[in-house]
Amino acid sequence: MDAQPGLTFEDLRVGEEYDSPGRTVTEADIVIFAGLSGDYNVLHTDAEYMKSSFFGERIAHGLLVLSIQQGLLERGRPARAREMLVGIKWKFKGPVKIGDTLHVRARITALRDSDTLGWGTVLVEREVVNQLGEVVQSGETEHLVGHRPG
Amino acid sequence: MATPNQFYFEDVEIGKVLETPAMTVTDAHVALYGGLVGVAAGPGGVQDFLPLCLSSGLGWRVPQPPVVVLAFMGFDWKFLQPARVGDTIRSASKTVAKRLLKESGVIIEERTILNQRDEILQSGKLTLLVARRPVP
Repeated sequence: MDAQPGLTFEDLRVGEEYDSPGRTVTEADIVIFAGLSGDYNVLHTDAEYMKSSFFGERIAHGLLVLSIQQGLLERGRPARAREMLVGIKWKFKGPVKIGDTLHVRARITALRDSDTLGWGTVLVEREVVNQLGEVVQSGETEHLVGHRPG
Repeated sequence: MATPNQFYFEDVEIGKVLETPAMTVTDAHVALYGGLVGVAAGPGGVQDFLPLCLSSGLGWRVPQPPVVVLAFMGFDWKFLQPARVGDTIRSASKTVAKRLLKESGVIIEERTILNQRDEILQSGKLTLLVARRPVP
C-alpha cells in the first residue's frame, strides 16, 4: 500500500480527460474574494459604474475564476498521492458574470521524466467553459506527480 | 491628464520597480480561500494560487496611483517554493513592455512574490489591458 492514498505518475495516461462538476458564480463569491484578496477594482465591486462599461455589469475577478476552476478540477478527477504545481500559462478570454455556471475540461497532454528524483512531469491542458459553451479561460499547467514507491 | 488618483497607459513607465507592502499569510487566509474556492492546501500548507491572489490586492497599495486596468489578459507563472502559513509575503513588479492599441494599451508586467527572507516563492509575467488617458 502507498503511504498516501491516490494515484501515482504510473497511473496517468496521455489523453486522459476529466470533466468537472459545474458551479454557478454568485455575487457572494465576488464580494468575499474582493475582501480576501484586497482587489476592490470597480470591475468587480461597483455595479453602477459597470452598467455603463463595456461589460455592462460587474465581472468576476480573473483570479477568482482561476481558483474556482482549480477547486472544480480537484473534485472532477481522482486524487493523486503526491503532486506539486510547477507552472501555469493562462489566458483570460472572456468575462464571467454573476449567475454564470462554469465547468472545467482538462486533458493530460504529456508525461515525462523529471529531473527531480521520484517525480514525473505532467502537462495538463484546461478549459473553463460557461453555460453557453464559451471558453472563458484556458491554459496549460505543469505538475510534478510522485512515482509509485518502490 | 490622469486624475490625481489614477494612472493610464501613457503614465506607465517601463522598468520602474514597484514594491508592495507586505502581508502575513495566516490560517484564516487559508481557511477562507479554501472554503470559497474548494482548493486543498499545497505542500507548504498554503494553496498554490493564494499568494498570487493576495498580491493582486497588495498591488493596489504601491506608492503610485493605481493603473486603470480594463482586463487581465493572461499570465505565465512559475511556482518556485511553497508559501507557508506565517510567511510574510510582498510582491515586486515592473513593466517590461507596452503596446498601444486603438482605444487601450497592453502592458506586460514582470512580478515576483517574495517572503520575509527575500526568497522568491513565485514569479512570472502578467499581460494587462489598460485604459488610455481620456482626451479632454
